[in-house]
Amino acid sequence: MSSISTTSSRQGVVLPAARSGRRHGRWALSFWVGLLVVFLLVGVTGDLAAPYEPFEQAPLDRLSAPMTTTERGLHVFGTDPLGRDLLSSIIFGTRLTLLIGLVATVIGAVIGTLIGTAAGYYGGWVDRIGMRLAEAQTAMPMFLVAILLLSVLGPSIINLIVVLPALIWPTFARIIRAETMRLRSTPFIEAAQALGCSGATIMFRHLIPNLAGRIGVLVVVSVGHVMLAEAGLSFLGVGVQPPEITWGLLISLGRPYLAVAWWLTIIPGVFLGLVVLSINMIGRYHERHLGAAG
Amino acid sequence: MNSTLSIPRFVLARLRDGAVVLFLVVLTIFVLAFVVGNPVEYYAPPDATQEEIDRLNRILGFDRPFHVQFADYFGGLVRGDFGDSLFQRRPAIHPILEALPATILLSLTGIAVAGLWGAVTGVIAGVRPGSIFDRVANFLSVSMVSVPNFWLGLLLIVIFAVQLRALPTSGFFDPKGLILPTLTLGLVHGGRIFLIVRSVTFEETTKPYVMVAESKGLPFSYVVGRHILRNAGVTIATTVGWEYVRMMGGTAFAIEFVFAWPGVGNLMIDSANRQDFPVLQAGVILTGVFVIVANIVVDLGSKVVDRRLQPA
Repeated sequence: MSSISTTSSRQGVVLPAARSGRRHGRWALSFWVGLLVVFLLVGVTGDLAAPYEPFEQAPLDRLSAPMTTTERGLHVFGTDPLGRDLLSSIIFGTRLTLLIGLVATVIGAVIGTLIGTAAGYYGGWVDRIGMRLAEAQTAMPMFLVAILLLSVLGPSIINLIVVLPALIWPTFARIIRAETMRLRSTPFIEAAQALGCSGATIMFRHLIPNLAGRIGVLVVVSVGHVMLAEAGLSFLGVGVQPPEITWGLLISLGRPYLAVAWWLTIIPGVFLGLVVLSINMIGRYHERHLGAAG
Repeated sequence: MNSTLSIPRFVLARLRDGAVVLFLVVLTIFVLAFVVGNPVEYYAPPDATQEEIDRLNRILGFDRPFHVQFADYFGGLVRGDFGDSLFQRRPAIHPILEALPATILLSLTGIAVAGLWGAVTGVIAGVRPGSIFDRVANFLSVSMVSVPNFWLGLLLIVIFAVQLRALPTSGFFDPKGLILPTLTLGLVHGGRIFLIVRSVTFEETTKPYVMVAESKGLPFSYVVGRHILRNAGVTIATTVGWEYVRMMGGTAFAIEFVFAWPGVGNLMIDSANRQDFPVLQAGVILTGVFVIVANIVVDLGSKVVDRRLQPA
């Protein structure tokens, strides 16, 4: 909505669309989608795609720099303090990194959408409770709360999936509520009410399907946010624990060797950044075009 | 909803909502701390007998039922008493007050860099959409918000401290130690500010009054300075305000950890690790108060400056 419309104001002339610009946008979009698909494929195939066994240790080859060739072969991204191949660890960690991001986002999206639709449709005290809860959640430094919970309950993947949705549901609730309030007074909802549909029917059969596009864009944007949060928690040592691997954990494990082996910290972060960047680029593209269409 | 309210009534309504939100925050964090575990098991020596553990529970008041503990805690809060730190045996608020100046210093330098960088590049990109500058700045800004902020800090350490040996990685007492954490916060939040300022400025350039001003023959730079900036200014200032709230609401904490900055974030992480719940609760509640009050102030500020504002 607030982002770019396709008019050129500089000369005060309204062009139908800056054509070359839009084509450029489409090429860029294919690039980011392609990149994301590659990461998804790597996530699915997992260690099958890795050049080495991710846990295979070789103490003699420890902390080899990127592009070093050892007796075992070429280590594109170097090795860690136990001689394990970094590229293989990154490939092996792709699946869990993406999976946690996706699952936590979907849970947060479901909670936020339900609360947002109910608040927007029913109004009144439902609205007030829902919105105050969302505001309370936003006012709490969730990072601290997550650290508290995870340090006491013990770090585990399940706990991460419980904690991470808390970061994003208020956003869903707020935006979906506003959209619902906009739709509530449209003729087709009024018609459904006149026909005697129950509130639940209207919410699930009429409101949510109509908001699917908006929800979809929000999900895409939130996955990146959740993945960064997971990396942050794993970095602080309260997220995923070895032998499970995510990219955030790899950054954390490499940090003590920052002065002697920068690649252990920097390269996993580049991968995380690339995935989130492609997600954000795709999200921005859709936002622009949904905004132009709607 | 609040658009029709006069300013005093707007403030009252927001304060009432804020009080409800704050109560929910207090309740939530207290329930969480109550549910997740008993710190006594952590603080008692491993060979403590059950009797000794019971005694410790009684001394610290953990043997009372939930509602009694909560009423006691809440009653204290109203008087400004956050309870005592379990780790340091002194009021929980003291270590936080000691750590606060460091956090405020870092966040102020961070937001100054972020605001300056984001607003200036955002306006330039917004009035020249599609230019090389716009594209490059856009891509860089999206990249800055797409990488983990702590990783960006580590990257800067590798470049400037390890490879170039130009700057220290940490150190509160050496002014140079402030440069890298400030730069990290500036880049991350500057990227976010850029994205919003750019789109606000661009939207402003599409408005009819710009066309009128230009058709009068005014130079574009004059129109930007005289008209566009004045209209976009409120939103830009509000954006920087939000970003500061966001920073104080948590983002700066991970950066403090990376650079061993002796601020509230580091204190909180330490407190979580030693299950010092009163300090952690106080930190969460105070952050909540800050976020709630700051939101009201930012909203009120933009309402006072620009009386036309009609929130949708």
